[in-house]
Amino acid sequence: MFQYDFMQHAFIAGTLIAVMCGVIGVFIVARSLSFIAHTLSHIGFAGAAFAAYAGIDPLAGLLAFTLLGALGVGQMGVRMFRRDASISVILSLALALGILFLSLGNVQGNYSRTLLFGSVVGIDLQDIWLIVVITIFVILVLGAGYRWLKFDSFDQVGAEAAGLPIRWISIGFLLLMAVAVSATVQIVGALLVFALMTVPAAAARFFTQSIFGMILLSSLIAILGVWFGLTAGYYTNAPVSFFIVAFDAAVYFIGMAFQAIIRRRRGAETA
Amino acid sequence: MLHRVRVSHLQVSFNGEEVLNDLSFDVSAGEMFAVIGPNGAGKSTLLKSILGLIQPQNGRIVLDDESKTVVGYVPQSRVIDDETPISARDFVSLGQLSGFFPWPSMQERKVLREIMSFTDTDRFARKPIGKLSGGERQRVFLAQALVRHPDLLLLDESTANLDPDAQERMMELVQKAASDWGVSVIFISHDLELVRKYADRVLLMSRGFYKTGTKQEILNDQAMLKNVYQSISSEADGALQQKSPSAGLSLSASPR
Ligand SMILES: Nc1ncnc2c1ncn2[C@@H]1O[C@H](COP(=O)(O)OP(=O)(O)OP(=O)(O)O)[C@@H](O)[C@H]1O
Ligand SMILES: [Mg+2]
Repeated sequence: MFQYDFMQHAFIAGTLIAVMCGVIGVFIVARSLSFIAHTLSHIGFAGAAFAAYAGIDPLAGLLAFTLLGALGVGQMGVRMFRRDASISVILSLALALGILFLSLGNVQGNYSRTLLFGSVVGIDLQDIWLIVVITIFVILVLGAGYRWLKFDSFDQVGAEAAGLPIRWISIGFLLLMAVAVSATVQIVGALLVFALMTVPAAAARFFTQSIFGMILLSSLIAILGVWFGLTAGYYTNAPVSFFIVAFDAAVYFIGMAFQAIIRRRRGAETA
Repeated sequence: MLHRVRVSHLQVSFNGEEVLNDLSFDVSAGEMFAVIGPNGAGKSTLLKSILGLIQPQNGRIVLDDESKTVVGYVPQSRVIDDETPISARDFVSLGQLSGFFPWPSMQERKVLREIMSFTDTDRFARKPIGKLSGGERQRVFLAQALVRHPDLLLLDESTANLDPDAQERMMELVQKAASDWGVSVIFISHDLELVRKYADRVLLMSRGFYKTGTKQEILNDQAMLKNVYQSISSEADGALQQKSPSAGLSLSASPR
């Protein structure tokens, strides 16, 4: 399958996105931001639809909308979003806006499908370069802020006590998430960004107790999922996103079973 | 004597309600300084002000060398989700913030090992923090504060949930840190026996009343203690009294 340019592109872009999602996902899960990630991807959908309507580059629309969305969430306070119904209001509103822009812009049905469900085959060289830049940017920022972010994500009380600027960390992370979501929407579509960003990370938690181990494992699961999805999609013509998510979900359930077995065994030992 | 922290004329109020008013004291290097007083006296508020988490309306808190003083803090309420998956070792190492690279240096690994053996947390280093007992968690929290090499250590009822034996062991650790490394310790406790055993000096406080002295001066003045603890309980309504039955005069019981 590698004789085709589009498959090569898909593998390169998909692998990069997987690494990025795998790494950032560990923090998204630790900070309980899964639904905010989901909402951001819908805001991104509205942004891309707006871009189509206004005739600008989709990535520009995505970034503008998700960054503004992240700032809004940060301003109102993440905590409120975790419980409140306001998150579903915003999510629906973003989806509705997207639909509005798509119909106003008289956009082809094809494009809307791509936005919602992703398209791994339509990636050209220029897209790849953008994805390379975004991935490197996200990973570098995560690396630079790693110690602070790690502290704040896994022990906010301790981080605040140690004098870390937890509010700025929170807003900075939301912005970074917005950037990552924008790059990912283009590949897997708005509806499944959330899956790629949280399922591998959630699965990794079953297998290791070390934060760095989680990051490695989460990226590995994400990469394998993307590779599996592309290969299976190529040979069956079924949607790639389906196979990616199915793979990640399978690893998640295996992890759950694995943990249950370990616990039972430990329980038996101590009994 | 070197002053680690000097608090002068501190005043803190929340929405117009004065919690601390004109409170002054200082703590020397390597000193064990206890803060006692009834519930709601403002003890936690005092520690948070020293940390800078609360901005005082008035007064000053001067650390010995502002830029270099590292303050370690073990807060009073620290809820850890039982499902928190990370190991005790990773939890302690969260406190190591100063390295340049994302990964720990050799030196940092060494310090981590030392602190974990010092606090006797290495036995369960690989266990998820959510699965540890209350007392084990307290030691992990202490280790996380110590791994930063604090000059000043603030402990807010860190021994409250421990069995008597674990309380002693924890305080011995803290005392050892104070004497070996010159860490100044300010600890809040409701257990006056523990205070008698481990404190050098004591601050007794209730709303608007502060008295600092050696532990003998404070703890042997039964009349004053009785006064301070009772003045609050007679103000309070029945519900509060039920919650803290020892608010009257119980010198060794530790509420909660
Ligand atoms: N952020 C806040 N906003 C409003 N009031 C507060 C705040 N923090 C503390 N208070 C009030 O200040 C008073 C002192 O609280 P603080 O937590 O310092 O008491 P404490 O001496 O530590 O008591 P305890 O022994 O119960 O821990 C209480 O009446 C409390 O209601
Ligand atoms: Mg308190």
